[in-house]
Amino acid sequence: MTAQAARTGAFPAAWPGLRRGLFYAVTWLLAGLLLAFIVLPLVRLTLATSPSQLADAVRTAEIRSAIWLSLRDAALTAVVAAVLGIPLAWLLARGRLPARSVVQGVVDLPLAVPHSVVGIGLLFVLSRRGWVGAQTGHLGISFYGTEWGIVAGMLFVSVPFMVDSVRLAIEGIDPRLEQAARSLGAGPWLTFSRVTLPLAARGVFAGMALTYARSISEFGAVAILAYFPMTAPVKVYALYLQNGLQQSAAASVLLLLVTLSTFVVFRALASGRVGPRATRHGHE
Amino acid sequence: MSSGLELRQLTVRAGAFRLETVTLQIAPGRILVLLGPSGAGKTVLIETIAGFRRPLSGQIVLDGRDLASLPAEARRIGLVFQQYALFPHLSVLGNVRFGLRARGERSAEPARAMLARLGIAGLAPRRPANLSGGEQQRVALARALVTDPRLVLLDEPLAALDAPTRDGLRDELGRTLRAAGVPALYVTHDQIEAHSLADDVAVLIGGRLRQAGPVQALFDAPADTDVARFLGLEQLGPAAPAGGCSVTVCGVRLHVTGKPPAAGGLVAMYRAEDVQLSPATEAADAVNTLRLTVKAVVSLGPVVRVELAGPLAVAALVFRGAVPALNLRPGQPVCAALPPASLRLVPVAGVCSG
Repeated sequence: MTAQAARTGAFPAAWPGLRRGLFYAVTWLLAGLLLAFIVLPLVRLTLATSPSQLADAVRTAEIRSAIWLSLRDAALTAVVAAVLGIPLAWLLARGRLPARSVVQGVVDLPLAVPHSVVGIGLLFVLSRRGWVGAQTGHLGISFYGTEWGIVAGMLFVSVPFMVDSVRLAIEGIDPRLEQAARSLGAGPWLTFSRVTLPLAARGVFAGMALTYARSISEFGAVAILAYFPMTAPVKVYALYLQNGLQQSAAASVLLLLVTLSTFVVFRALASGRVGPRATRHGHE
Repeated sequence: MSSGLELRQLTVRAGAFRLETVTLQIAPGRILVLLGPSGAGKTVLIETIAGFRRPLSGQIVLDGRDLASLPAEARRIGLVFQQYALFPHLSVLGNVRFGLRARGERSAEPARAMLARLGIAGLAPRRPANLSGGEQQRVALARALVTDPRLVLLDEPLAALDAPTRDGLRDELGRTLRAAGVPALYVTHDQIEAHSLADDVAVLIGGRLRQAGPVQALFDAPADTDVARFLGLEQLGPAAPAGGCSVTVCGVRLHVTGKPPAAGGLVAMYRAEDVQLSPATEAADAVNTLRLTVKAVVSLGPVVRVELAGPLAVAALVFRGAVPALNLRPGQPVCAALPPASLRLVPVAGVCSG
């Protein structure tokens, strides 16, 4: 029996089951390793802090204001990214772009550029003597050490998340729906606002959730453009430099809790499990 | 001033594909069925007329007006797609009202009236995702007609439906379109739809309009073998004039109606449903009657296709009951008659297609 199996190159009867089992074992092992790698530092960090230390951090006005600043500017960035990102995403998905792949490459560029380099580059352009900063200065808008600078740094690093998310959503819409709208007398504005945008809404919300998450966690670009006022990640870094690992842990845990809980809410909104869209979908 | 749709020498490029010099007319209230295989350019033509593609040259004239300068939303052309393209985020009523709203009509009454006219008033609050294919098709038609278009374009509107639904909807669709009194361009690859819906038929193959005209004229005198094949005719073999009203096909002399043209490059064609089978015991000397052998018997549901071999290869469509009656089994002899009126002498494609 086995001799015959060996001759024909087939595996004996017991082997397929074993190989199948091995496949699942290896898959679970490697996947588990990666998940543990993400979860362990966060758990260890949380364990390093006692409830009283956490309460102290909450009572510290500087930490509170840093977290509030991060929340506010990340949310603002998500809105700005949506307003500026949706048109670009539409052009990439539907427009007649001469060099589509080049434009797509530019959109994804922030993924590859080190964030400290982003900060330096932005500073060159946005500082008072920079190309853009000189112009906005006349309007009373300066970027160095201001919330404008924080939003600029956050926006730069999160553009790919916003644009790609919306682009994929628009690409997923049957172009015939837009053609049908046009044939029914809807011009480009109406077609976009009544058909394309509502059908891409999930992608827009998902992009905003990702932008928010990317923005609130941004350190490198923001630290160079606007070390002050301190966003939460910058504050954690400053605490670490001043007081060491243990002292920065409480602020880190607080930041972690706030970002995680807000991100979870954002994601739930984006996936439609809560909010007005969910009730409209299944029923009626 | 002419009314209806007129295509004049329309040429369109779509990637490597070219739609060449299409000239067509559809009068108001008439249905032109555009037949053609996949990849013939039917959808490209629809997209060009609707305004989603720019032609290289030629004119699209609707009710006497050249559409070239009009964007899609100003052409007032109703579109019905194969997959209906109903707006999934709007109710049925919302879908039908869409075009009215785009034109500034606030009232839902015209939309409700149109739904009632098509017998689907009860669907108004439903979402497209919760409708059957037939219901979606009716909604798509209601949406296209409610804005009072000057032309309706239908791109294989029944192709996505199951056979019983399709058969029921075909007549209804024809009646609705005729009642609307607008010219309709109906694209399909199904010759049954051409038979039952068309006033006029046009055959598009490989980006070229091979033939256009009243439906019976096309079925009676196809311009070439490609067109004939697409209209459901089958090839018997090259035909040579054999004196009087007869031709020889593969050495067999067959009678035809009228004197065959002297020009060469003709092929004898027939419809399988016109072939009459009779028991082989009967005399085989009647007109165009051949003694053949059953090669294969293929069931097509209500009818059976019988492939016959002999001096000529012939296929016949018979009702199921004829199979035992005529003892139609592979290897059995049978007599097949090809009535002269059912034979067509068709120019070979590419030679005489002009």
